Amino acid sequence: MNEHLVIVDGIRTPFCKMGSDLAGMSAGDLGAAAVKQLVAQSGLDVESLDQVVMGCVGQPVDSANLARIIALRSGLPESVPAVTVHRNCASGCEAITQAAMAVAAGEGCSFLVGGTESMSNYPLLFHPAAAEKFMSLSKARSVAQRLGALAAFRLGDFKPLISLQMGLTDPVCGLNMGETAELIAREAGLSRADQDDFARESHARALAGRLFLQGEIVTVFPPSGRAVEEDNGIRTPDQLQKLDQLKPVFEKGTGTVTAGNASQITDGAVALWVMSEKEAQNQGRKPLARLRGYAYAGCDPTRMGLGPLYALAALEAKSEFRLADMDLIEINEAFAGQVLACCIGAESEAFARSELDRDTALGPIAKDKLNIHGGSIALGHPVGATGARLTLTLARALRDRNLNQGVVALCVGGGQGAALWLEAIKS
Amino acid sequence: MNVRLEDRAGGLVEMVFDRPGVNVFDQQTLSDLDHCVSELEGREGVKGLILTSAHKSVFIAGADLHSLSGEGDPEKLKDMAQAGQQIFHRLAQLPMTKVAAIHGACLGGGYECTLACDYRLATPHKSTRIGLPETSLGILPAWGGCTLLPRLIGVPKALDVILNGRRLPAVPAKKRGMIDAVIPEERLMDHAKIWAAKRCRKPRARGLMDTRLAMAVIRMKASAALQAKTGGHYPAPEKALGLLVRTLFMKREESFRAEAMYFSQLAVSETSRNLVRLFFMQEAAKKKRVDDSRPEPVSRAAVIGAGVMGSGIAQWCAARGMRVVLKDIAAEGVAKGMQTVRNVTQAAVKRRILTRAEGQAVVDRVLPTHQDLPMHSAEVVIEAIVEKMAVKKTLFEDLARCTGPQTLLASNTSALSVTEMAQAAPDPGQVCGIHFFNPVHRMALVEVVQAKHTRPEVLQRAVSFVQQLGKTPVVVQDKPGFVVNRVLMPYLIEAGRLYEENFGAPELDRAMLAFGMPMGPMRLMDEIGIDICHHVAEFLCKELSYLPEMPGILSQLIELGRLGKKSSAGFYDYHHRRKPVAQQRGNLEASPLSAEDLRDRMVLPMINEAARILEEGVAASPEDVDLAMVLGTGFAPFSGGPLRYADARGLQAIAARMECLAESGGAHFAPCAYLVEKCKSGDNFYLESEA
Repeated sequence: MNEHLVIVDGIRTPFCKMGSDLAGMSAGDLGAAAVKQLVAQSGLDVESLDQVVMGCVGQPVDSANLARIIALRSGLPESVPAVTVHRNCASGCEAITQAAMAVAAGEGCSFLVGGTESMSNYPLLFHPAAAEKFMSLSKARSVAQRLGALAAFRLGDFKPLISLQMGLTDPVCGLNMGETAELIAREAGLSRADQDDFARESHARALAGRLFLQGEIVTVFPPSGRAVEEDNGIRTPDQLQKLDQLKPVFEKGTGTVTAGNASQITDGAVALWVMSEKEAQNQGRKPLARLRGYAYAGCDPTRMGLGPLYALAALEAKSEFRLADMDLIEINEAFAGQVLACCIGAESEAFARSELDRDTALGPIAKDKLNIHGGSIALGHPVGATGARLTLTLARALRDRNLNQGVVALCVGGGQGAALWLEAIKS
Repeated sequence: MNVRLEDRAGGLVEMVFDRPGVNVFDQQTLSDLDHCVSELEGREGVKGLILTSAHKSVFIAGADLHSLSGEGDPEKLKDMAQAGQQIFHRLAQLPMTKVAAIHGACLGGGYECTLACDYRLATPHKSTRIGLPETSLGILPAWGGCTLLPRLIGVPKALDVILNGRRLPAVPAKKRGMIDAVIPEERLMDHAKIWAAKRCRKPRARGLMDTRLAMAVIRMKASAALQAKTGGHYPAPEKALGLLVRTLFMKREESFRAEAMYFSQLAVSETSRNLVRLFFMQEAAKKKRVDDSRPEPVSRAAVIGAGVMGSGIAQWCAARGMRVVLKDIAAEGVAKGMQTVRNVTQAAVKRRILTRAEGQAVVDRVLPTHQDLPMHSAEVVIEAIVEKMAVKKTLFEDLARCTGPQTLLASNTSALSVTEMAQAAPDPGQVCGIHFFNPVHRMALVEVVQAKHTRPEVLQRAVSFVQQLGKTPVVVQDKPGFVVNRVLMPYLIEAGRLYEENFGAPELDRAMLAFGMPMGPMRLMDEIGIDICHHVAEFLCKELSYLPEMPGILSQLIELGRLGKKSSAGFYDYHHRRKPVAQQRGNLEASPLSAEDLRDRMVLPMINEAARILEEGVAASPEDVDLAMVLGTGFAPFSGGPLRYADARGLQAIAARMECLAESGGAHFAPCAYLVEKCKSGDNFYLESEA
């Protein structure tokens, strides 16, 4: 890359489980809360922004181009354009890399990026057949026509389709995300206990890292009238005792993936201020980290959980990035089994040869470098926001521990992987 | 020419109202209109007439109120009313189709003029307001409004418009039938031409409700509602009601004559004169300048302290388009404050003052926080934290660190010395008081406090800021309690003393309701909060040695946890859903005092205090004191305020009464030196022969 993107500042809302503290806030409310705080705390000159890019997977139907709505609601100037991006679970990454691409192309130097998701507010839908009946009812004019149209309805027509469930199902391969996790857990020989242990570790690390994480959280004030100050998905060891009693969700009887060893369904938003490195220097800013490189890669949709390996390999192939050089590694915990399968795959030469088109394995992923403040199993996974959250957390962790570089990798529903390589900027 | 005719293609004529300054009906404009009507009467072949205004945001704002205030002669006023009626009537009689193309304020006489047209079109623009606000000035529509509006839209709707003095935007005006169509500004003329090509309007068919029996029922209901609202202190709406329910059974000319007669009676009344004076005072305050500087409008503000006042101020600033930081030390406090912001905004959406999107934008403009944020971009920072000098001083010290050198620092203190807290700021000249009243979104008054070191341009910025907020600023000096609380406290203290003399709360409240207060003193204390009353009274008693001893009842109530409405009990019990019930007090015998005695014991201390305020120069003029008291406490508006009331009763009489009360009731009733002096010299508070 000719001109690097740097992360100047960032903030996020607390991440709260679906239907809990933040349920009263829409994706737009959450995004605006984060953006307003970021602008106020960072001294960002809003007039100089070139674009607002926000990731969101389930865009609310009343908020077309959500990023623009968030920008205007946050009081950003009307002259600053905004675009909403969607790369499924990597939408928050996509927002960052769009800015990086623009900077590299000389198309601007200051961007407000991030992601937002209110999974509490995913709508319930009518079945297409029922929708058709509603349509003919609205077209009916005479009383007889109306009665006829009404008579066509059956009780089943009023059973809603749950859009959240639909969104988490790949319509191409027909598998739910959890089912893809079951598949790779099976193939990697991972037991239920392996996955539950990993989940426990995630919670333990998040609990231990609470103070650190608090540094990236802004208190939000939802209409409930309460101040929401922290993530609410983290469990103490006591609370985790019953983890192994949970029933598998996706494969009755033989399954190993449970609500406890998968990421939580969560509401939250992240906002980052990113700039071209030159402009940051000109303005005398002290950024957290620079984006050295990034890669997206495609893979088998039924094994989308292995996406990080493809993306990391692609990043190695196209840049000086070496997984072995990383001080910290963030792999999004969509599922415990999926992260563990990645760890196994990273060390497998066979996998490298058959899948990654290379002779050597990626190399081991040391547990003490991986997700050191916990991951989406403990903190939650508001899909559109997570990519940006991981990037913010990693950039802050590098500075916090005075380390040099790290990488963020995510699996992406539909069979993709994303990888973002960060390098700390020492101040 | 204030009114001119311009020929348009297709046999249309445009009648343009273009009075220099603002479009109102004064003598000249009326006579110019007369000329134009005469000319049209002599012309053939005019197919349509379109009334327009050459002014940007005013169609015709009404009759010139100045011509009202000078006149004391009922006969002249009657002539004035009849002259207008006749010209409008001749306009109505012109054979062509007449259309009013309304953009901007179209009120009072302005709307009555359009009632002479066949059709009325109006723009949905913010500046467009349509209505007959006369009764709010103590008069009634007398250029045909009371006669023609009921014939256009029916009596019940006309009652709503006239008795409430409504000024409606185009859409609700259309709903009531006051106009015929809502047309965007750019297309107004095109559509006016289309409407002008239609036939003249047919008179409204007699409705089912237009019977004497129905009218009797309407009158009964409306009269009761009116009595509840005005307490019988405002004759104008009553007269209007009396005429409106009868007008349909009268000939036009007869009804016109009745209008003119009532108008001439009302316009010379003290009530109307006081209401008009207050109107002028308020208009003057909205334009007031204390300095030649022209401050930029404020776009960013910060409010420190998210209590009832702080969040109310933040909400109002946001509703007026500013971006506001709302800060408090504790997150729970901020959360509560944001609830207030949301609730007040939600109520405005419910009442259709704001659309849903506008309501959301208001809430979005508030940035709630309990963390330290840089506030350099805020032009104004207002503190509304706990009323403790030491805490406020620390805050002003801290604020210097996170705000710019140009930031106006203001305190919303209701009594403490702004001068003293300003000492803590690095630049005391940058500090003043901006004292809002509760509830912020309802109270029009803001006291702008000039502290000892406040620079004139800083004071002007505060005044302009208040004006930008659409509030009425009154500049006061930094003396304990400023104007409103200082005048109000002796009144509340006396009410408390009377209560201790075994008068019941309802009795005391009734006495002051009868005087014309919107709420009695005991209910008022319950609303304010007994603890807050106690706090302010204690503070003022310490500062002002002549005040009587604090009634012990306040601290007793506080000990009992009866803090007023907020704790559901104070002087009254608020647990019952519909009506507050007076607290039981056993069988106590009060010394016999007439309603007048009660009234005087509570009102005269206010007048005494208002006089002291004038003497000390806390407010610059009697107008400022009266305006502040009427807007800040609802002090009987028809009386014109405490000082105007005293003038009307006669200062000699007032002073004598005070002496009398002082003999029996305590030295604090004795007239102050300033009042005694005024009596000696035979002056009034107001330098009379006012315009």
